[in-house]
Amino acid sequence: MVRPLVIIICMIVVLALPGTASAHSGYAGATGFTGGLLHPLFVPAHILAVAALGLLIGQQAPRWGCAVPVVYVIAIIAGLGAIALAVVAMLAENTLLGLAAVTGLLVALARPLRRSIGWLLGGAVGLSLGLDSPPDAIPLTQAYVTMLGTALGAAIILLALVQVASRLRRDWQRIGMRIFGSWLAASAILMLALRLTR
Amino acid sequence: MLACLAAATPAWAHSGGAGSGLVAGLAHPLFGPDHVAAMVAVGLWGAFLGAPAIFILPVVFPLVMAAGGVLGILGVPLPGVEIGIAISAAILGMMVVLAAQPPLWLVAIMVGAFAVFHGHAHGVELPSGADAAAYSAGFVIATGLLHLAGIAFGLLARWLAGRFAVRAAGGAIAIAGLMFLGQLA
Repeated sequence: MVRPLVIIICMIVVLALPGTASAHSGYAGATGFTGGLLHPLFVPAHILAVAALGLLIGQQAPRWGCAVPVVYVIAIIAGLGAIALAVVAMLAENTLLGLAAVTGLLVALARPLRRSIGWLLGGAVGLSLGLDSPPDAIPLTQAYVTMLGTALGAAIILLALVQVASRLRRDWQRIGMRIFGSWLAASAILMLALRLTR
Repeated sequence: MLACLAAATPAWAHSGGAGSGLVAGLAHPLFGPDHVAAMVAVGLWGAFLGAPAIFILPVVFPLVMAAGGVLGILGVPLPGVEIGIAISAAILGMMVVLAAQPPLWLVAIMVGAFAVFHGHAHGVELPSGADAAAYSAGFVIATGLLHLAGIAFGLLARWLAGRFAVRAAGGAIAIAGLMFLGQLA
């Protein structure tokens, strides 16, 4: 009962620790595997999208099964693979914010959804997150290690959130999740508007 | 966690500095008495109305507020924003005093309409060069926490003395709203 609150408070704290956004490297001073691992936690668009997706998957459990996280992880690997092939996605961060808004809204609505919607959202969030995580490292080996860390970090965060959200069964906990979903959606909408206008 | 919050540093890539970041976003609604009064009133009224209003209002408000915020960010003019905010405190406070129980759809429309004014004001007042991401998240969270504070106090309405206290708080908010309105006149 306490753990969901702890997770939510930790997420607020993470947002309170903005670091230097130098091509949004994960954490100031951290490079390689650690930098990659922390990357999704320290980029607001990433954490918003992953948090919203994690809450939605947990909310839809057990209807959606474990296929959506699998699709999400495969999509992250595909996105990172595309980066390795020198694909540059200019709008990946904006796409992530748009997906965070839609997914947060779905959490707030709390309606039963088809599994295919989960696959679509999981794939889109994973792919955008992968495409928006180009490593700063120049040496090829270090770049691959950073990307491995990013994939692992993004997967762990999602799975942790799914675990927490799927255990929220009491009425007040489900209501809290809907309210938090609306906060995620509202934050994402505002950030997207700011990114597009300033 | 307090240490983590205290360790927040400027987000240089966005030319942070004073007035930016999550902490500034969190503080922004808290230092506007008209905002605080209206947000707390939303929570009080929701608690007074009971389920499902008690959770629908805190879900509707941030979402519609974000839409208002987008209008403000885009520079779309909205006449009478400050008057709308002051009126929102007065009317929402009055609803609590009267223990009004209109249909839920009407409550949601009223609260949503007021949310547009609050969101527009936040969007316009966003400091230039602010760490937009953290700032936006900050004021959404602060707004939500003010609702929750109102709900927590409003739950006292389960008891007779608490009901009186909640309605008295609504009265204080309504009077404050009228004072805000008077200052604008």
